[in-house]
Amino acid sequence: MIRGAIAIFTRDFKKFLSNPFVIVLTLFMPVMYLVIFGNAMGGAITHIPLGVVQDQPYTTETPLFTAAVEQLKNFHQPDKPNVFDVTVYSSEEVAKLALSQGRISAAVIFPSELSADRVVRVYEDSSDYMVPSLIEGGISAAMAGTGSSNPVAINRIYGNVDYIQFFGVGVIVMAIFMTTMMGGAFALIRDRELGIIEGYLVTPVKRSSIILGTIGSTTVRAFMAGFIIFIFDILITGVMVRRMEDFLLVLAVIFIASIGVTSLVVALASRFSTQQEYASTVAFFNLILFMTSGAFYPTIGMPGWLVWIAWFNPEAYTVHALRSIILRGQGIGVIGTDLLALCIFSTFAIILGIATYRRTLE
Amino acid sequence: MSGPAPGSPGPSSDRIIRIQHLTKVFREKKRSVTAVDDVSLDVFHGEIFGLLGPNGAGKSTIIRILTTLMQPTSGTAWVDRYQVTRNDEEIRGIIGVCPQNSTLDVELTAYDNLEFYGKLLNVEERILHDRVMQLLEMADLTDRAHMPVRTFSGGMRRKLEIVRAFLHRPLILFLDEPTIGLDPDSRWEVWQQIEKLNSEKTTIILTTHYMEEAEKLCHRVAFMDRGRLIALDTPENHKRAIPAGDLIEIGIETMHEGLLPAIMATGLVKSVEAKDNRVIISALNGSRVLPSLIAVFEKFSMPMTSISIRSPTLEDVFIHLTGRKLDAGSGKNSTAGGRQKP
Repeated sequence: MIRGAIAIFTRDFKKFLSNPFVIVLTLFMPVMYLVIFGNAMGGAITHIPLGVVQDQPYTTETPLFTAAVEQLKNFHQPDKPNVFDVTVYSSEEVAKLALSQGRISAAVIFPSELSADRVVRVYEDSSDYMVPSLIEGGISAAMAGTGSSNPVAINRIYGNVDYIQFFGVGVIVMAIFMTTMMGGAFALIRDRELGIIEGYLVTPVKRSSIILGTIGSTTVRAFMAGFIIFIFDILITGVMVRRMEDFLLVLAVIFIASIGVTSLVVALASRFSTQQEYASTVAFFNLILFMTSGAFYPTIGMPGWLVWIAWFNPEAYTVHALRSIILRGQGIGVIGTDLLALCIFSTFAIILGIATYRRTLE
Repeated sequence: MSGPAPGSPGPSSDRIIRIQHLTKVFREKKRSVTAVDDVSLDVFHGEIFGLLGPNGAGKSTIIRILTTLMQPTSGTAWVDRYQVTRNDEEIRGIIGVCPQNSTLDVELTAYDNLEFYGKLLNVEERILHDRVMQLLEMADLTDRAHMPVRTFSGGMRRKLEIVRAFLHRPLILFLDEPTIGLDPDSRWEVWQQIEKLNSEKTTIILTTHYMEEAEKLCHRVAFMDRGRLIALDTPENHKRAIPAGDLIEIGIETMHEGLLPAIMATGLVKSVEAKDNRVIISALNGSRVLPSLIAVFEKFSMPMTSISIRSPTLEDVFIHLTGRKLDAGSGKNSTAGGRQKP
């Protein structure tokens, strides 16, 4: 019995040691989890963009306004940077416009009179996780710091958004990535291992048809996965899409992300000859892209180097675009940058995917 | 299926493949291996042409070049009127290929595998179903049409793969080691199928390292060894070329020292030797010399325990040509294939 067990043990270990690439990635992964997961989830949220306005009729800055702005600017937790980046706006309309366009997370309107019963109005973007409660806490602390007793009225402009709704939108992106990275690419590598792709090559079918068929089928699967999760989000988490154009915009974002991610994954899968090597690499990609996408936790709370990764992360743009449409009802005006970034990414990925896959067919 | 256009340039009508000075060298780092070394040959329309040789002789490399999966290092080849280095897409339209390693999708059913390939091979939609059913019947797989291929035996898979290559009625069918790894029954069935396909005027090129396969099926056989073409003829002519002729083996119990000189003295045999209680005699016509041999044995009062006369096989031809057995691989280089150059 022992002899057989040792033989199997030795064989398994020999195979494990024969692939240094997989060994490195397997050992590297837990460390990456520690560094990325730890930093992405546990970071202190700072530099929340905040707009402040003194209400009309405006004659001169009231002492309350001056003191409160000062308090807000300097509000911070021990040994941490300031929580708010404060911008003073000239009117309530301009501040609210900035809020609706997502440039600031809250607009604080201070009364123009000194009387203590005048209300300080706060309009906040309630679609983000953690940020609204930080804003509310910060404003209370600032008011207390000024010594005034003016009441504060909080207006959550997108209503109460639960974490499941916040996270649910991120799961749409996760579904797209999982379907392509796990399903599509593994099928492609397995087909190559089994010689099925070589079978195509001795038929008159054009190389471009093989590429189109492969990318097309995986894109549609990814799109369907994203779409189904979107429907689940509506049914389970209770998010609402109020207008037809918002619904179509969501589908457009899911589609552009699907074709981009699929092409990228086809390029990746073309570079690996075995499923094991691909699996190790893609687990790493999945971790870094999903963690920095803002799907779990606001990107604003991540350390600088992770935010820097998020800048190049197509998932981050997808999550932001979908959240803007689904949770905030914002249109093309707000998600224009996200769409542009996604289109650039997808175009680049399609070119890379076609070129890399074509090389494996030559 | 598109055949050559009337009046088009290309090989004369009876030659469907022309290979001219074909060479393929694989280079890896500082090592280079010549898998195919200056091979020239023609294949005629409608014949079953065999490429015979040990593993690593260069047979599959020639097939890969002819089926446009690989470019030659030098030399060229024409398939019908198309040159392999220039008209790869046209060539893929007129050939059917059954590669050495299976390319069937084992998760799909037999029917789905054929239907899918029918689409890749541009078989017209309106005749596709009938054609698929016809081929399934040809492969004796009609009752298994809608079962996943993973439930099939090796022989059934091979037959399915061969008819798949025939879906679009190609002018030329390439079969790379069609019966490798099959049991004798399955092998026999595959042979039947190949003959059936050839009776439909399809030219068939097959590679094999089973001599009996080449002997049974092929109209002409090319012997390959270490990348080179060493002989090309019909199986009968190959065998006639062996100077030794038939082999007669006679089993004996005891040996008499005068026996061998007496056999040679008949003047009818080419050589004689004694080995492990057997006397092995080679003669041009075994059955005609046998009575004289029996007379010699009687003269020495030596009882014979057995007698056998065997015509030479293609294996004997290969041994005669190379000094090695067919299944012994191609010498030291058998794993890499071909001859090595520094």
